[in-house]
Amino acid sequence: MATQMRRSGPGEGRQGQQGGPGGQQGGKKKFFYRRKRVCKFCVEKIEYIDFKDVKTLQQFIPERGKILPRRISGTCALHQRKLQNAIKRARIAALLPFATD
Amino acid sequence: MRTYEVLFILSPQVPEEETASLITDFKRVAESTGAKLTNEEAWGRRRLAYPIQKFTEGNYHLFVFDSDGSLSELDRRMRNSDRILRHMIVRTDLDHKRAEKLAKRNPKKERVRPAPAFPASPEQQVPEAGPAAVEGE
Repeated sequence: MATQMRRSGPGEGRQGQQGGPGGQQGGKKKFFYRRKRVCKFCVEKIEYIDFKDVKTLQQFIPERGKILPRRISGTCALHQRKLQNAIKRARIAALLPFATD
Repeated sequence: MRTYEVLFILSPQVPEEETASLITDFKRVAESTGAKLTNEEAWGRRRLAYPIQKFTEGNYHLFVFDSDGSLSELDRRMRNSDRILRHMIVRTDLDHKRAEKLAKRNPKKERVRPAPAFPASPEQQVPEAGPAAVEGE
């Protein structure tokens, strides 16, 4: 969890330090409010991401069928790696599409 | 002891009686090489996410084996069978072990994290509120 905080994007890091939604910054400009993204698997304590669990995997598959990037979904590096493997396995098993038009 | 998950998709053209015999055949092949069946799931007919050999549907079936050796014989048979559209054998015991370790570690880290966050936030907000208000005016 500690590594997740360190590696998070600049916008999220600032929000985390402030604690409040206002985002009052000393000298820097005020950016639009960005909701703090958290890793879904860390929150729900899912440590093993199963390739057969299509329902959870589908949350990380946008319409086009690509894998949702970490910077958007907020998944931590560890879980993103496991998620990636699970999605790729599910694709081989024809549970998820490789691409959709 | 290793754990393997064997997921395979039978062609939708195969009649029901034959699917049952095929499944027991594959089970026997694996068990003859020293694997123990621990779980079995029949998902039945499912839509495929993309067509395989021009079929849009498939009959999914899952085996979970505990084995000391490899399932190469089962793999070979499945590859050669024309009744199987696709099969996948995945070793899962290592991932499950790692997941268990992580599950044990996680509660410790969560206890550490909120402790510095609470004293830090009021200190930061108090001095920063002053200059921010001045700039706003």
